[in-house]
Amino acid sequence: MAMTGATIIKRSLSARLFSTITTVVTVAVAVTLMLTLLSMRDSGRSAFERGTGNMHLLISRDSSPLVSVLNGVFYADPPARPIDAAKLGELQSDYASAFSFFVPTQQGDSYRGLPVLATTREFFTRFSPDPDFNPDDPETIGEPWKVAEGELFDGPFEVVVGARAAAEAGVRLGDVIFLVHGTEVSRKAADREGLLAPHTHKEFEYRVVGVLEPTGSAHDRAVFTDLTSSWIIHAHDRRKAEDPSVTTTTIDDLPAEDALVTGIYGRVATRAGSSVSAAIPAILARLRADQSITVAQPKEQIDTLFEIVGSIDQILIAMAAAVLVSSGIAIMLALYNSMEQRRRQIAIMRVLGSSRRRVFVLVLIESAVIGLLGGAVGVIGALVGSAVVASSLKARVGLVVEPMFDPVLTLAVIGLTVLIGGLAGLAPAAIAYRTPVSRNLRPIG
Amino acid sequence: MVTQPPALDIAGLRFRYPGADADTVQLDALSLGQGEQALLTGASGTGKSTLLQLIAGLMRPAAGTISIAGEDIHAMADAKRDLFRGAKVGMIFQTFNLLQGFSAAENVMMAMMFSDVPRKEHRSRAVDLLRQVGIDTPAREVTQLSVGQQQRVAVARAAAASPIIVLADEPTASLDPDAAAAAMDLIQETCRSIGAALLCTSHDPSMAERFDRREALVPAGAGG
Repeated sequence: MAMTGATIIKRSLSARLFSTITTVVTVAVAVTLMLTLLSMRDSGRSAFERGTGNMHLLISRDSSPLVSVLNGVFYADPPARPIDAAKLGELQSDYASAFSFFVPTQQGDSYRGLPVLATTREFFTRFSPDPDFNPDDPETIGEPWKVAEGELFDGPFEVVVGARAAAEAGVRLGDVIFLVHGTEVSRKAADREGLLAPHTHKEFEYRVVGVLEPTGSAHDRAVFTDLTSSWIIHAHDRRKAEDPSVTTTTIDDLPAEDALVTGIYGRVATRAGSSVSAAIPAILARLRADQSITVAQPKEQIDTLFEIVGSIDQILIAMAAAVLVSSGIAIMLALYNSMEQRRRQIAIMRVLGSSRRRVFVLVLIESAVIGLLGGAVGVIGALVGSAVVASSLKARVGLVVEPMFDPVLTLAVIGLTVLIGGLAGLAPAAIAYRTPVSRNLRPIG
Repeated sequence: MVTQPPALDIAGLRFRYPGADADTVQLDALSLGQGEQALLTGASGTGKSTLLQLIAGLMRPAAGTISIAGEDIHAMADAKRDLFRGAKVGMIFQTFNLLQGFSAAENVMMAMMFSDVPRKEHRSRAVDLLRQVGIDTPAREVTQLSVGQQQRVAVARAAAASPIIVLADEPTASLDPDAAAAAMDLIQETCRSIGAALLCTSHDPSMAERFDRREALVPAGAGG
């Protein structure tokens, strides 16, 4: 194969391998940071919106609406203050007629580190992680929950498992499992504060009756059971603490004070084809007048969250852009420093027929190639980085984020690195252009 | 019968380095026929190396013309002169000036990048030329070759584009007498084999007997 400009550039880059690698890595880090942020930004928001689904209101006794949403929908932490049966009954009688659904939930238990949500069948038939699902509209464009295997629970001590929970815990239809009182978070709190340690509810077997299809929401990592059995196992704990001879507890042993919930998913009735209702503000105002509860509009809380996060990610993107510019300077310095050693090479090339312009262009292309390599490595880094971030989000907050790489944006970022590389090569290329031939052909020494 | 222009024709040449008090090169006339070989002698500072670089078009004279195969190289635009040099002028240096980090074959092929030699023939021609000058390891990086072998690669490179003229600037100055004799044999024979004229500079008096034609370059202002 004949010698070409590409061969000369390749040799030049490999002759300064350490310098080439460090400058490529510098560019790659900037591209990785920028693309990871860009890919996670939109997908993160849609993942959060998917999680809140088609509910309008979330009622709890958490310290703030945002905490209520993070705990009640994204399983960040088990809610600490439950709503008792009397309050639940009062809310149901006052508001249930205005609601399309009013689904009580209870958290606090776990299975192999996965959160357990005790609820009613309405959670699956009325609520949906899909914001467009309207349970009162036969023509709804949204999708309800789908069962991949088995069926929904139909009585006490049956569980339905989210798609990722099934995969992570390795449970199958028909398996018998035991729930654990407390979660990883409450275990740490118990250790720290000397509280009752989490323990397995080993007196009560649960049978897996269904596995759900994935929804892309935090609920995919949850295990679902009915409220009654959850009340029974916690009543049993209480009774056994009071009288160690107690061996079993049934629904008949369940007093009203054990019927606790930690959240209520609510959707105000809407007209067919619409996902909002003019009644929401009035209902919200009435509920908020009650100081004993916390009322959150999940969508509003997600918007608030992303307003906070949005300004942070703009700062991060600006920092990534600054790193990208710095990497351009690194390319320029690396090439600039190499020019002293390359004067003889340039002079020889000129003797062999290479024009000043060609030498200029070769250095410019070499610089752009460093930008291109950095961009390409950065894209790979971003694919890995965003997968790591997504995995971390899934593990820490149960949020399933699927990084989305816009091909046009990705190409634009690579184009930007090539441009920055090219611009960084201008000064070294000018030095190469002006390199005097005769002076640099003389014997050294 | 068509008369071929001389390989080299110089007339009224004057060159002075910036800031110098006098011309470094004053040469009223010098002509070298096609395939002719000449030795350029002269004491240090008489401008022998400068003259070769003027002939190669690497420096611009203050006055006069330099024609290679009938073409005034300093009348050409810069880019055209660069291409012309790559295709028509071969150069051999005292320190060889090979490209480090490249193989022997790549150094030779580099000299064909701007020539009329078809690209698909570059490698085979480089390997053939290297074999002719006694190098059987064309893929070896030049810094791994001995000084004598590097000199041979430099000769093969000078011949690669089938130039009209080869300019050899003190090509044996860094070699011992035996190696110098062998190197000159190779340079002269290679130029004959490709039909190129040879203009060689040297301080070595023993070189004189190798050339039928000897041109003494006298210091500018000495009337030579």
